Amino acid sequence: MSADAALIAAERVSQVYAGRDGTPNWALRDVSLRIGRGEFVCLIGPSGCGKTTLLHLIAGFVRPTSGTVSFAGAPITGPGPERVVVFQDYALFAWMTARQNVEFGLRTRGVPRAERRRQALRALERVGLPHAADRYPHELSGGMRQRVAVARALVVEPEVLLMDEPFAAVDAMTRQTLQEDLLRLWQETGVSVVFVTHNVDEAAFLAQRVVVMGAHPGTLRTDLAIDAPHPRERGSARFAELYAEIAGALAGHHGRRAA
Amino acid sequence: MSLVSSETTDHRASRSAPAPADSFEATFRAAHRRRLRRAAGWRIALNIAGLVLFVIAWELIPRYSTWINEVLFPPPSQVFATFVPLLLSGQILDDIRVSLVRAASGFGVALGLGIGAGVLTARLAWLQYLLEPLLHGFRSIPAIALIPLCILWFGIGEVSKTALIAWGAFFPLWITTFIGVRDVNPIYLRSAACLGAGRLTTLFLVVLPAALPFILTGIRQALSVSLVVLVAAEMSGASSGIAHMMSEGHQLFRVDIMFIGLAVLGAVGFLVDRAFVAIARRLFPWYQITS
Ligand SMILES: Nc1ncnc2c1ncn2[C@@H]1O[C@H](COP(=O)(O)OP(=O)(O)O)[C@@H](O)[C@H]1O
Ligand SMILES: [Mg+2]
Repeated sequence: MSADAALIAAERVSQVYAGRDGTPNWALRDVSLRIGRGEFVCLIGPSGCGKTTLLHLIAGFVRPTSGTVSFAGAPITGPGPERVVVFQDYALFAWMTARQNVEFGLRTRGVPRAERRRQALRALERVGLPHAADRYPHELSGGMRQRVAVARALVVEPEVLLMDEPFAAVDAMTRQTLQEDLLRLWQETGVSVVFVTHNVDEAAFLAQRVVVMGAHPGTLRTDLAIDAPHPRERGSARFAELYAEIAGALAGHHGRRAA
Repeated sequence: MSLVSSETTDHRASRSAPAPADSFEATFRAAHRRRLRRAAGWRIALNIAGLVLFVIAWELIPRYSTWINEVLFPPPSQVFATFVPLLLSGQILDDIRVSLVRAASGFGVALGLGIGAGVLTARLAWLQYLLEPLLHGFRSIPAIALIPLCILWFGIGEVSKTALIAWGAFFPLWITTFIGVRDVNPIYLRSAACLGAGRLTTLFLVVLPAALPFILTGIRQALSVSLVVLVAAEMSGASSGIAHMMSEGHQLFRVDIMFIGLAVLGAVGFLVDRAFVAIARRLFPWYQITS
């Protein structure tokens, strides 16, 4: 991806939270990052290194203490449907069925009922859940809930999906199918994906580019380009190499820098 | 030969396969429904048995004991004998209607004001800080303590009763709505904002439903408070209503009439609560209310 056509650009962003006794806690310090249209980027790093903070800055939930975050050339001033977040869990509206959850983003724009319904059912089909349309979230498994969350996000046709450890709470087998389905949807829609994880295997399987972060203060340490085609075979030697490269960068060795 | 026969068996199998599956499902469903019905029937039977046992004990104890004065503690047969003419003349139904209208109007006013105030104070910090000393101070004044003042200001008419009931029912509604709205999971609000929801959409489709378990608790409390304040207000000055009927019974030294009033209040309170649970279940199928 060419850096000039950046969809998301963070320029020297710092985010400082006040500790309980007022001491500044640098969640992010001087972070600069550019993400292009259609890219699939994984943010990886130890707990507390500011992954969620960075994602929330892009989402527009918080303003940076200093620096700027812009989207398509304009500074981000708040949340919007061109940047939809998929949370780890418990983000589906418990009082709406799967279909009503997916319809929510269409309802906010006043799409007529019949059209809304048609699009929601189609989105549920794309994530493999047409049969669960009328079930409430508590009647769905963790994996199914995350599928509905992805359908709910995609139905508003965002330009970027911001995913915060979305598959961390599901079992390993389900996680793999969710990852495969996410790759398929990414390829079909051309949406950009910023995917937070602390799981090396997940980053090696999904990412075109892995941004490795370090904690205290939160900084970007390494930016790895992963030039292996999808789908990737978990048992292959190439995959083992990718895994080792990311794990090495996480452990603090220097990886290959992205072009 | 063998080929033909195997073909026919296959054919028969595939054709008859759906039938047993269907009938299994049908019998399973029917059995499930039967089980549920039986459990519900058993519960109702025991409910009724409890009532009947209570009435029998009440009838027998005053009759066969020496230490209970039947004038002060009339048995159900006597209460019932008084009740029938009151029912047939329509007098008691009038009193029930008058009382219910009072309770409903006071509760209705409180419902709007309490939920409105709860939402606003939970969403606007400055309003919360401005109003919290007042609201918490007023909340500690029992509505009953205001009755003399209310009668002084508004007389013994409907206004003073509606105001008193609304006062009593307002606070549980306000405080539960406030807590429910304040504690809405921020992930819900952020999801809504991401998906392009404005303030009103967020309020009606996200905040209020998310706070609903709290609001329903407040509604239930407010319903019972409404009945308490209703009785207190009617007893201190009214010319109609259930509690007014009871105070008349008191003045006439008619304990049986007072008992009728108690039974009616118990039944009304019980039915109102049942109706609340039934309506809430119907309207909010995702939220499991225990009865
Ligand atoms: N709302 C907040 N208030 C105070 N401190 C916060 C807040 N959010 C995050 N932090 C702090 O910022 C740092 C980074 O947090 P976070 O972005 O959640 O990290 P990660 O997602 O990588 O685990 C942590 O030290 C965390 O305690
Ligand atoms: Mg996090």
